[in-house]
Order: sequence, then structure tokens, then C-alpha cells
Amino acid sequence: MTMTMAGGNEVNLSECKRIVPLNTWVLISNFKLAYTLLRRPDGSFNRHLAEFLDRKVPANSFPVDGVFSFDHVDTSASTNLLTRIYLPAPLDPSRYGTVDLTEPLSTTEIVPVLVFFHGGSFTHSSANSAIYDTFCRRLVTICGVVVVSVDYRRSPEHRYPCAYDDGWSALKWVKSRIWLQSGKDSNVYVYLAGDSSGGNIVHHVAVRATNEGVKVLGNILLHPMFGGVVRTQSEMRLDGKYFVTIQDRDWYWRAYLPEGEDRDHPACNPFGPRGQTLEGVNFPKSLVVVAGLDLVQDWQLAYVDGLKKTGHHVNLLYLKQATIGFYFLPNNDHFHCLMDELKKFVHSIEECSRSTSSPTLLSL
Amino acid sequence: MKREHSHRETSSVKVDSSSMTANKEEAGGFDELLVVLGYKVRSSDMADVAHKLEQLEMVLDDGISHLSDDTVHYNPSDLSGWVDSLLFDLNPTCDQVKPDQDSEYELSAIPGSAAYPPGKRTRTGSDSPTTTTTTRSMVVLDSQETGVRLVHALLACAEAVQQNNLKLADVLVKHVGLLASSQAGAMRKVATYFAEGLARRIYRIYPHDDVGLSSFSDTLQIHFYESCPYLKFAHFTANQAILESFATAEKVHVIDLGLNQGLQWPALIQALALRPGGPPDFRLTGIGSSLTGQSIQEVGWKLGQLANAVGVNFEFKSIVLNSLSDLKPEMLEIRTGSESIAVNSVFELHRLLAHPGSIDNILFTIKSIKPDIITVVEQEADHNGSVFLDRFTESLHYYSSLFDSLEGPPSQDRVMSELYLGRQILNLVACEGEDRVERHETLVQWRNRFSMGGFKPVNIGSYAYKQASMLLALYAGADGYKVEEHEGCLLLGWQTRPLIATSAWRLNRVG
Repeated sequence: MTMTMAGGNEVNLSECKRIVPLNTWVLISNFKLAYTLLRRPDGSFNRHLAEFLDRKVPANSFPVDGVFSFDHVDTSASTNLLTRIYLPAPLDPSRYGTVDLTEPLSTTEIVPVLVFFHGGSFTHSSANSAIYDTFCRRLVTICGVVVVSVDYRRSPEHRYPCAYDDGWSALKWVKSRIWLQSGKDSNVYVYLAGDSSGGNIVHHVAVRATNEGVKVLGNILLHPMFGGVVRTQSEMRLDGKYFVTIQDRDWYWRAYLPEGEDRDHPACNPFGPRGQTLEGVNFPKSLVVVAGLDLVQDWQLAYVDGLKKTGHHVNLLYLKQATIGFYFLPNNDHFHCLMDELKKFVHSIEECSRSTSSPTLLSL
Repeated sequence: MKREHSHRETSSVKVDSSSMTANKEEAGGFDELLVVLGYKVRSSDMADVAHKLEQLEMVLDDGISHLSDDTVHYNPSDLSGWVDSLLFDLNPTCDQVKPDQDSEYELSAIPGSAAYPPGKRTRTGSDSPTTTTTTRSMVVLDSQETGVRLVHALLACAEAVQQNNLKLADVLVKHVGLLASSQAGAMRKVATYFAEGLARRIYRIYPHDDVGLSSFSDTLQIHFYESCPYLKFAHFTANQAILESFATAEKVHVIDLGLNQGLQWPALIQALALRPGGPPDFRLTGIGSSLTGQSIQEVGWKLGQLANAVGVNFEFKSIVLNSLSDLKPEMLEIRTGSESIAVNSVFELHRLLAHPGSIDNILFTIKSIKPDIITVVEQEADHNGSVFLDRFTESLHYYSSLFDSLEGPPSQDRVMSELYLGRQILNLVACEGEDRVERHETLVQWRNRFSMGGFKPVNIGSYAYKQASMLLALYAGADGYKVEEHEGCLLLGWQTRPLIATSAWRLNRVG
């Protein structure tokens, strides 16, 4: 797909600038620019510069705005898997700055634990990236959950299936922590959540969990990264208009998928020609959030359809005027709408339902 | 951790799709929401930065210009400055304002903006409000989950000491000893040192003053240098900043505030020898304490041999002092106007915090000799708070990470490194007043100190970052070591916990 002329670009840029707050536009444009500098045409990636440019924050066991965090390294697997855990501040201020790994979260109430996979198209960002650290903190405060953010291995250095393997390891690890248990039955109540590539990881880890009998209460996919060989309408219509291009999407799939593979690989296109059916399988209920100005949306909507067709419970939150990354800053309605839906989703009492109820569709 | 104000404050109550809001400002005018994400953009500059991002997009889309992998980037948090320097690098012929070089010296040969940050940095002093938020960064290994009781016991004992309940402290410290013996690896070693520190404090058997054993200290430091990358990183990053600062100078003078065995300088001498256009005349002034007087001369002599071998004119002078506070400008015999000066301090400055006024004395002396650059490496930790229990807890987590990073096959280097660090722990925990010299402070605290002392930051850029990362991969092997960039400084940490910080400074030329 060729780029439009300079004049055409100007129209695109100013339209995009009108639709998001100025500081959001600056933030996401900055990422877009930096990422362009990092991707090389030969498929290699300037990792040193990427890590230099990424704004990182350390964990903080002293609560800030009611949330504290600490990092954990699981050395049992062959790859040291790092996760950052976010918890609400202890009621007793004398316990600020300490971490207790001997007691459950609660013995009376259920405290949902969100296993979170950050976005970055499988290539960018880390669990300790400031944008994701901030987002996870907001999830704790606003949605009343505990968050475990997974620092999965990234492409192109680590291709498929590394991210899924790390996701699976993290899930198992989370399930086995005494200090993440809650409720009268002392279980770890897990939801999987992720944005962009993180959303893609959610799906594949959930599939594995289902196959291996590990209970996940729900999946949250925030403009998940899916694709296919065919060019969809939304891709062609929105190419280059709101921060994202087909070209960059292609680059990231080439960096993640096994060499020589195309975008109908089931990692990219789970319900496509080479996909695996979830018919008759006890898959968790899903909340899929689609940004109306995301060029990937046709693939995300096809994913929702795919779940629906095989009788799985799925809620679709369609945010018509949202661009990718709308949730990085809490300065717009889409952010608050997302948080409200998330909160309802993780606190709903019903278990995984296999009813064929139609998905709820919300537009904003 | 930057404080974040209530999320709802900036939300729009409109229901329409273009829900844009006024950017909330904080003191200093930075957009508050972006500050939390690591970017400092003044609200008043936002539109301008946006416009420049658009310009950059045009240039990159054209496909004719593409930044090479060799382009050096500085301080990505200063978005405005970063964008300016990119525009300049991509479009040097366009009629935008050339980034402000702001230098009295002839450094025109330096490509891009090198050591001198471009952009609108006209304000002096600290750009951001002093943060008083306490932070404690913890990394737990799964093997430490079982050691939680040990940590609790140590903290309980420290609390008893804090409350001067020495009877209880005595009971607890023995309990700690028992628990520690059932642990393994780093956890056991760290707990043992901290328990020893507590015991010494309780029974008032204080460790000897370090000065009396400084040749032993030097030996331990060499083992520490060999067994892990911290000192190598410190030397390497400081040298990079010095080299950039010395780019075209013909005569250079490095003042090392703590020469020890001079491990930092062979690499610098070799780099100077390879400088395009030939090496400068290199003069080194090494400072040490009174009991190492003789060995300082030996170190100088050996460095001279090396310099001769690679064709660098070398001059050496030693200064012997009881304390850096006693350093006077005239002792340094500055050759005003004909030499470029670098002042280097690796793990030296924090010791001066043990004596009131000392740090101000040294900063004053440094200012008066007008150096081109000051390189500082310090432990990234707050071990100098006024409350013992806080210091104890902070340092327990700090040294846990440090010892974790040392774990591996046993070697003499490693054992001696653990002893080197152990002596720091004992000083920190058992000593008080002027004897307690391991008064580590964080980069944020040092930044404030330097800003108020009349210095401004010199950004260390992506070239040094990349080289440091590559160096780590070469020497360290284990992939737990991470380099991070924070507002022009480089930090080396283990996993996600920064442990040492390198920063660079110069005089603030106001008016």
C-alpha cells in the first residue's frame, strides 16, 4: 500500500488531531515516530535504542494513590520470568513498604486477580514500562482487582510461541500462589487481560488453560492484535489514518510468526482457514473491546463472531470514536466507559456461561 | 514514583465524541498526565511539540531521510528537546532554530549536540518539583518466598533496636541467626551480615574505622571489580561522558576524587590514544587517603607506563588527604585556559555526608576550578534517612538484590566481593555519626544537591547506553542486568531494581 501524497497526509494528521486530546495525540505520535525509527526494513529491530527510549518505572512497595507494587522473578522455569504485582494498599499504615507472602488476599471475599499482558505488538514495551505500570495501577484502583503484569519475551528475538509459553507459565505460577488466593474456598480467581498483542496472548493462553483444565473466569481483550492474509475493509479504509499502518502491522507479524509463515497462521488468525475450532469447549466468557478507528477492527469483530458461532459468551464493547491507545490517559470518555465495563465484567457473579445469549453491544 | 492526582479531575463530562479536555497543569507547567508516563512536556509547549511531530512524520514518510543507527539520542523524557534534535539531524538545512549549543569552548567539531543538550533549557536549577515520595523497589525471587519469616524476624529485631528495647532485640537477633542458617544462597549471606550489624549495634562492638584498613579495602574492591559489572559500568559510563566532553581538547586534566587502584583510567587512556586527530596531553590528579600515599604513586607510575606504550603524553600528580573536604583549589594546580578539566567521583561523595558541611566544601572547590564536566557514580538507594528502621529496611532490600546478582559458581572474586559489600552493610547498620560513612542517597537527591549547588545536568546519551549494554552482555553473562535511562542519567540494575547511577554535570552559567 503506497503512502498518500504530502497533501493527503496533512488531512489525515489534522483529522486525527481533532479526534483525540492534544496530549494523547502527542503521546501516541511520539510512540509512532520512535517505533518507526526502531523497525528496520530487513526485519531486524534496534533493541538497544528501544530500551533506551522506553520510559520505565521501578516497583514501589509504598502505596501511591492506594496501590503498591513489587516484582517477582520465577526462577523455576528455564527462562527467568518476571512479573509485577499490583495490590491495594494495606489497611494498616505500619505495613506500608512490606510485602507479606504468607497470607491470602482475603478469607471471606473473592478478590479477582487479573493476569495482564501488556501490548506493543509483541515487540515493544515491558511490564515496567511507565504507560503499562500506570494503567495497571488504575485497574487496581478503579476495578477493585489485583493485577499481575507479565514481562513476556518479545519478538523478533523470541518468536512464536515464546509469548504464549510465558503467558502459560505465568498463569500456572499465579494459580499456585497462596498469597493470591481469596474467598472462603481459598482459590485464585483469575481473569486474563491484555491490550493489542496482549489481547492475542489472552486468547491463546485461555485455549491452553481450557485444554489443560486450568480454570480462567474470563478473558479481556482490549483492541487485540489479530490478522490474516486477506486485506479487510477496515484495514484499507483506515490505513495510515489513526497512528497505525498496514505496513507496520505486517512488520510485526513477520517479526513474531515463525519465519516463512503468513498471516493465516493460527497465532495470528485463530478462527481463520488454519484455525482451531472452540466448538464444544468450555472456553471462558470474553469481553472484547474494539476501537472504532483501529484498522484491525474487522479481524477483532470476526473474532467476536467466531466465539459467538461456537456458543461462547462474549461481550463486545465497540467504542466508535476511539483510536488505539485511548486508555493510556484518563482524559476521555472512552477510558471511563472501558473501566466501568471492566469492573462489571470481573465482578459479575455468574460463572462461565455456555448460553447462546447474544453479545451486548455498546457504542460510544 | 511520581505522584498522580485523581484520575477524574481531567475527565470530560461531555458525551460527544471529541471529548478533549484542557490539559491539567502542575507546578512547573508540565502536563501532569504525561509526567506520570515519563515525559516532561510543558502544557504551553504541547501544540509546538505536536507540530514538530507532524513535521518529522512528513520527513520520514518521504523516505529520503532516515536516521542512521548511529544517531545519538539524549534524554527522551524531554520530548520537546528530543523532537528538536531529531528535526535538526534530519533537516540541517531547513530554517528552524539550531539547537542551543550554549558553550564557551570550541566544541564545534562535535556532531549533533553531543554532550550539550539542545532545546529550550534556559531555566536554571531543578526543572521538576522535589519529590518527597518514599519509594522502595522490591524484587522477590521465588526462592525467597520461604525466607519471608527471616525477613520479618530481621525487621522485628531492627524495630526493637529502633525502640531501644535491647533485651527484645537480643532475643530476636539470636532467632534471626537460627533462621538464617536454614536458608541458602544470597538470602542467607545477606541475612547473616545484617544480623551481624544488628548484633554489633546491640552489644556496641562497632566495626573498625575503614581508613585503617584501606589497602585491604582496595584489594576487596579489585575483586568486586572482577566478579561483577557494577564498577566496570561505573567506569565505562563516566569515561564515555568524559570523552565526549574532551572531544577536541588538546590538553586534558582528569581529577579522580578516589583513585584507589586506578582501574578506571587504562580504558580512558587507550580511548584517548585512538582519538581521531591524535591524543591530547593527558594529566591525571589522583586523590587518596593518607594511608595509601605510597601506593598512589605506584598506581600513577603504572598508568604512566601504559600511556607511554600507547603514545599518550602523561603527567601524574597525587594528593593525599584525610577527607575530600580538605581539598583546596590551589592543590590542583589548574592551568587556567589551557586545559579541559574533568572531575570524577565513583562512590566517594556519599561518604562526605557523614560530616556536616563537607559536601558543600567539595562542591565549592569543584566549582571554583571550573571543570568542563563532573562525572558522578553513586549507589541508587536512600540509606541516609534519619530513622534507623527505614535505613535498615531499605538497605536490606538493596543488598538482597545486589547479592542475588552475584550468585553463581563460587570463586575467590565472589567471596571477596561479598566481604566488600558486607563491610558496607556493617557500617550502615552498626555505626552512627561520623563513623557511618555509607550514606547512600538516590539520584533524585543528588540531582537536587547539584542543582542547588549551581550545576546543571549533562545528558548521557544512547551511544553510551548501547555500549554499556553490550559490555554487560560480554562480561556479565547472566541476563538479569539491565541498563536504564532516566532524564539524561544511566542506571545499572539487577532485574527491575536500579542499583547504581551515573550522572554528569557542568557549571550552570547563569547571566
